[in-house]
Amino acid sequence: MKIGRVLKELLRGAGITARHFFVNMVFHTLKLFGVRTKRRGAVTIQYPEERKELSPRHRSLHRVLSREDGKPRCVACMLCVTVCPSECLSVEAAEDDDPEVQKYPARFVVDLSRCCFCGFCVEACPVDAIRMDTGEIRLASYARSGLDLPLEKR
Amino acid sequence: MSGMKMVGLKLDGRTVQAPEGTSVLKAAELAGIAIPHFCYHPAFEAEGNCRMCLVEIEDLPKLELACSTVVREGLIVRTSTPSVLQARKDVLEFLLAEHPLDCPICDKAGECKLQEYYDRHGLFPGRFVEAKEKRDKKVAIGKGLLLDRERCILCTRCVRFLRKVTGTGELGVFERGVRAEIGTYDGVPVDNNYSGNLVDICPVGAITDTDFRFKTRAWFLKKGPTVCPICSRGCAVVVESVTGYPLGIDERKVFRIKAGENPSVNGTWICDLGRAGRRDIDERRHVRVMKNAVPEEELSWQKALADVTARIRAVPGPERSAKIAVVLNSRLTCEELVLARRIFAESLGLGKISFADPKPGAADGFLLTEERVPNARGVLQSGFSPVLPDLDTLAAAEVVLVFGSHLLEHFSEEAISRALAGIPSKFLFSAHAGPLDRSAEIVFPVAVPAEKSGTYVNIDGLRQSFGRAVEPPPGVVPELEIFGCLANGLGLNRGEPDAC
Repeated sequence: MKIGRVLKELLRGAGITARHFFVNMVFHTLKLFGVRTKRRGAVTIQYPEERKELSPRHRSLHRVLSREDGKPRCVACMLCVTVCPSECLSVEAAEDDDPEVQKYPARFVVDLSRCCFCGFCVEACPVDAIRMDTGEIRLASYARSGLDLPLEKR
Repeated sequence: MSGMKMVGLKLDGRTVQAPEGTSVLKAAELAGIAIPHFCYHPAFEAEGNCRMCLVEIEDLPKLELACSTVVREGLIVRTSTPSVLQARKDVLEFLLAEHPLDCPICDKAGECKLQEYYDRHGLFPGRFVEAKEKRDKKVAIGKGLLLDRERCILCTRCVRFLRKVTGTGELGVFERGVRAEIGTYDGVPVDNNYSGNLVDICPVGAITDTDFRFKTRAWFLKKGPTVCPICSRGCAVVVESVTGYPLGIDERKVFRIKAGENPSVNGTWICDLGRAGRRDIDERRHVRVMKNAVPEEELSWQKALADVTARIRAVPGPERSAKIAVVLNSRLTCEELVLARRIFAESLGLGKISFADPKPGAADGFLLTEERVPNARGVLQSGFSPVLPDLDTLAAAEVVLVFGSHLLEHFSEEAISRALAGIPSKFLFSAHAGPLDRSAEIVFPVAVPAEKSGTYVNIDGLRQSFGRAVEPPPGVVPELEIFGCLANGLGLNRGEPDAC
């Protein structure tokens, strides 16, 4: 009695899998013959061996850009800190000897455990010093401390 | 303003009354109409060099300066006609032609008049394609002040402040025309006790203070008005602090103290000692109860205070006057002093209540007074007659309660520790860490004046109540709460019971 019900559910599950397989196969076959359909067959990417190419406007790990002489472009104006909705940025300013530069970040830490990758910091930056285009999306860490990234050292 | 003759004038179609002799700008301000201005400051005579306050006055062919036109009966003034708005734009455009777009690295950003007025009256696209003039960006003009000549709009507020208020006149305008710049005479630096006000009155970020420079941005600061506790003048000050983001979680820092406004005490100025008072709020603070000079993580002040009440109760009633000694200080608020009087003098009947205060310093003839405590008048009004403790009588006591660490200014550390050595119960209530901590059995962390609300009576007998300007660190309370708990513990409370 009970075993019968289990078997029934098992077969139903197998049926769903089979349905998806055949439906996808139909769409892939149609594509192979150049027939355009509204729906496309599902694609499985074998991550992490296989990688999908990131969109050019994707947002990934932040980077702080440098000037031509290697100094950080950032002037520590803290507009990114101000605009950050998840309060994950921490910038400490210091005085540069060059009167044309004046202010540079002695510390620029992003707490990735809080970051929501909204990109507001990139938008707010008046000197185009922070970008989120490194393509680095594998940011997991075994310890929380590993998620506090000091960007001024990169 | 009674007794002052009022004149009627028309401002933007409204008929308003203003006292005779005031400027159109001031009259408009009284009527709630803000006229933008850079060089005008209520404390000085109008100079009229920035041309920002131009207004239209009926029957006069050209726009007139609101800051230096005195009100007359029947004057018809318009402050928002197209020609006035255009004049404001033009003045801003001329100023911005030479002003660097430094806002991201300028400490004044967020509270800058030029920024504010551009946003409100400007909003024109830049037309100047020529390179901006290069000038000195970092000129030390003395006392931690840095002058940025590119940012300077030559309003000469700083020059006039040093001539009219401090009378020291260290700054002047040198060269003429496009080369005009602010500078010191022969490099003699600005050196007076009111130099910090230059940063406050500079309408742009031309004069910055190294103490605040680049530490944070103006818009993060939470402003808490209070009364300055440094001397008995009782100036209005604003404590500007950040709690939490962008600092760490639960982190608190006081970044600066600025002058508040109180026409009957300090006007809009405060002295540099008052500004430096920010260190008192943040540095060397006790945040934990210490037992035998070891900070106790787990011990709350309430639990530790129960120990104090038990020791006081253990002294039999008739002996209390001789065996319990209390040292207070004149930084306590009137509310705290009244409670202290009820507990120690009236209920316990103590004879040995003494006061240990910071030593008097030199008065500077303007705001700073000799007494370096804020509430010496309040102490007298609360019924105390402050006398310095005598170490021998202190040594004869069994329970000693010391509030504040100013004993050290009157006696050597050895003398105090020798006097306290034989006393079985000695308790220190102090906001700051210091050598006295080693002599005390239990040290209680207490709030500094900026973390309290209360009342001070200043040198002229003016009673000023103030609220809490910054939150104290967790586990740190004002003496008022400690006195309240003490009263509860000793069974003196007749009102409603509180937390303890």
